[in-house]
Amino acid sequence: MEREQEALRGFLLYLCCGNKEEADDIAQNALMKAYLSSTGYQEKGRFRSWLFKIAHNTFLNHKASLRYTESIEEARELVSSTAADASFEHQDLYLALRTLPPKERSAITLFYLNGYNIKEIAAITEASEDAVKKQLSRGRDQLKEKLKL
Amino acid sequence: MNKDKALEDLFLAQKPQFDDNEAFMASLNKRLDAVEYIKQHQEATIRHYKMALVVAFVVGIISGAVTIAFLLSTPAAVPLFTFRVQTGWLSWLAANSRILTATALSLLMTFGLISIVGNIQDIRSMRSKAGCVIPSSFH
Repeated sequence: MEREQEALRGFLLYLCCGNKEEADDIAQNALMKAYLSSTGYQEKGRFRSWLFKIAHNTFLNHKASLRYTESIEEARELVSSTAADASFEHQDLYLALRTLPPKERSAITLFYLNGYNIKEIAAITEASEDAVKKQLSRGRDQLKEKLKL
Repeated sequence: MNKDKALEDLFLAQKPQFDDNEAFMASLNKRLDAVEYIKQHQEATIRHYKMALVVAFVVGIISGAVTIAFLLSTPAAVPLFTFRVQTGWLSWLAANSRILTATALSLLMTFGLISIVGNIQDIRSMRSKAGCVIPSSFH
């Protein structure tokens, strides 16, 4: 777990759009769930994917419990406040990510940050490969538009 | 699906670095210790609960067997109990005392069994909640 926590925290930091406190809290909850379920873990060699799957579900549950609906303006206020990752120089990416729905955000982060392929992302997010492709395509277009790339 | 080069570069250039890994792990270990404590406490409670169930079951079986043996050992023509005052209703009760006692005993044992089955189901659900939060299968 100790070896994987940094990758997991990075993934969740992106999903939480730079809110480090929230990301770390979700990471700890996900790691606790993984610890409690570790006796039933049978997927040898795919520990990180299994962990990411738990983290992704924990993140979605967290968002559902918050009934998350924020506009880019609200996001800008939040990111520029104390909770944001202070060391992050270019917050535009976080702001742009915040405009994406959580599932698209997960797909984009897993694809571009963590380097997973579509099949792996589909397994982690429990979606079909076609759905992941659509999420990636929509997310990419939206990010490029927001970031003016 | 091909990666968008500009986006990929942006993500990789901004890969988060953490300088508080030790603090994070210390906090996580603290939470895991708390979870482990609760888990152990829950396991101990379940063990005690299970023991109480076994004792109740054995006592029930023995006392049930003794009572039924007693009922069977008494002469069939003699009522189990009689009343000093003889009214129609009480006479009927005394005349049917054997069958009434057996019925009451059966009902008591049935309720006891339903309660034991309910408690076993409670223990199982407690176990599943405590032991496995996330399905382990990963496809």
